[in-house]
Amino acid sequence: MGDTMLEVRNLRAGYATAKGFVRAVDDVSFSLRRGEFLGIAGESGCGKSTLAYAIMRLLRDNARVESGGLLFKGRDLVPMPAAEVDALRWTDMAMVFQSAMNALNPVLSIGEQLTDAVHAHRSVSRDEAEAMAVEMLALVDINADRLRSYPHQLSGGMKQRVMIAMALILKPELLIMDEPTTALDVVVQRSIIEKIEELRSRLGFSVIFITHDLSLLVEISDSLGIMYAGRMVEYGPAAALFNEPRHPYTEGLMNSFPSLTGPLRRMDGIEGRTPDLLSPPPGCRYAPRCRYARPACSVGDCPGLAPSGEGRLSACPYPMGGRPDGGVAGEGGRL
Amino acid sequence: MSDERDAAARPAALELRSVVKRFPLRSLAAYGKAVHAMDDVSFVLEAGGSLALVGESGSGKTTTASVIARLYERDSGDLVVDGEPARPFRNRAESLAYKKKVQLIFQDPFGSLNPTHTIRSILERPFLIHGLADGKADLEARLSEALEQVGLSPAAEYLRRFPHELSGGQRQRVNIARTFAVEPSIVLADEPTSMLDVSIRMGVMNMMLDLKERKGVSYLYITHDLAGARYMCGSIAVMYAGMIMEIGPTEDVIRDAVHPYVKLLKSASPSPESGLARAPLDASGEIPSLIDPPSGCRFHPRCPYAEPRCREAVPELADLGGGRRVRCVLALR
Repeated sequence: MGDTMLEVRNLRAGYATAKGFVRAVDDVSFSLRRGEFLGIAGESGCGKSTLAYAIMRLLRDNARVESGGLLFKGRDLVPMPAAEVDALRWTDMAMVFQSAMNALNPVLSIGEQLTDAVHAHRSVSRDEAEAMAVEMLALVDINADRLRSYPHQLSGGMKQRVMIAMALILKPELLIMDEPTTALDVVVQRSIIEKIEELRSRLGFSVIFITHDLSLLVEISDSLGIMYAGRMVEYGPAAALFNEPRHPYTEGLMNSFPSLTGPLRRMDGIEGRTPDLLSPPPGCRYAPRCRYARPACSVGDCPGLAPSGEGRLSACPYPMGGRPDGGVAGEGGRL
Repeated sequence: MSDERDAAARPAALELRSVVKRFPLRSLAAYGKAVHAMDDVSFVLEAGGSLALVGESGSGKTTTASVIARLYERDSGDLVVDGEPARPFRNRAESLAYKKKVQLIFQDPFGSLNPTHTIRSILERPFLIHGLADGKADLEARLSEALEQVGLSPAAEYLRRFPHELSGGQRQRVNIARTFAVEPSIVLADEPTSMLDVSIRMGVMNMMLDLKERKGVSYLYITHDLAGARYMCGSIAVMYAGMIMEIGPTEDVIRDAVHPYVKLLKSASPSPESGLARAPLDASGEIPSLIDPPSGCRFHPRCPYAEPRCREAVPELADLGGGRRVRCVLALR
């Protein structure tokens, strides 16, 4: 148990809207080990960002956690008083937000923003805070003279690295990254990912990396969770998930990224569109788009995650191999 | 990809020869300076062929599409469409005729459809402007056909809707329907799937491939995604800082890239099947400012193989044979 950094238990969270309550995260459970890199993939509206904000206790005013637990190093964050969460946030768990370009304050220098974070959580002198800022910037390959720079003087990739430095400045044990590289070009994206990997092996923090880009996650994650319409539909070791997806949605997602070097073949993606979470379809939420769906899939409750082989969980009650045309698995699972 | 076979019989759909486009800066502080968005851009798009223009943001790929669509005019160089050199438009008829031939699909399916108009009124416009419909019944039939060929049926169901009632994928399909409504011969597609959800991207890409087969159009497909370019196009041109660095048949360029930038781009692209233990990047940095581009080869400040001469002169786009051309001194060895 001492090895578990975060345990999410049957989390339900959502937003009160004019049209009703939208349950963006529905019965999601997983656990994260110390030092583990967990990738969470899903399309827009699948609840992946809501999950991140719920863990950080940063949900908006119209959102709430309905039920379930968020055990961070054994302590449940859900009922925790705000002051205690404040003490944990940034020091023990930190977040890198989606739009790094806009997450920095344009009228404060990089140095002021970095030391601000330190002063808010530690009582240290100004010099000590600045030394910490310089050290962190060096870790992300930014020269100390950039402390006096303002965000508009930095490129997109540099801003994102400043955001990472800021998130890591108090040496948190858990780093949550919500689409940290989405707005960046591929070369910059790759260099940021190499940097995160280097820092993780050096500092030993755990990462939850959220993105819609499954092809990227497969390479960098230890474990992968796939979300669809608020539900976690598959969870397991990244390589296993890629080589042999167990849930038809995972297979469909894999089938949505053309290959760069493998054999060129027609890929079909997924028909249809994601359901409206105000009135999700009955039964399995993926059934209306699933190429293997049977009548039984569209009745009753949405199936939950169940063991499906070694260390793997899938929310599809039907094994992949028994399906009509074998799917991606039949072609060796190559993208 | 088999469609490039009988290309020799027809003139190229599109040819650019040393096209230059600069945007002068208007501020006093930058008086006399300009953004060098396109420099010495030359390529040929065969009739019925498909060429992917790949590059990162700021590489000049969208400017290239806009110059070809003549949303703005090039500063110098030749633009030849269907064997005819482009000249200044003398009247509206010439401008219309050009725009009927060369159509552009925009990146943003949310911004490119007027939110206050119904799909009917959006789709009617090309038929009315170009005078393509013969009476009401014919217009109706053409509208239905336009929507059905992009997979939106029953058409009547979509015609009365407004853009906000459609998903991103459906909106992009309406955009594509509008593009093909005027029966263009060249379609310039500027990142048509980059703003769509991942699961529906392939559907739109496949539909574009099918439409290309059926209509015999030529595609210039602009993307930052090397794997998507490979899926869509027979040839590929990689742009960097306003210049084409390497161009050739897609499989050749991707399998054995010659230019160090193309190698960098390839090694940075997500590619799960190449294994988890990938080689680290051998260069860092970002695209340079196009206001004061580096002297000589624009990639030299980031290039791991740069030599003194790379700083001095811009390398020629050297012909390697087999349709491959590379702008790098290394290619000349």
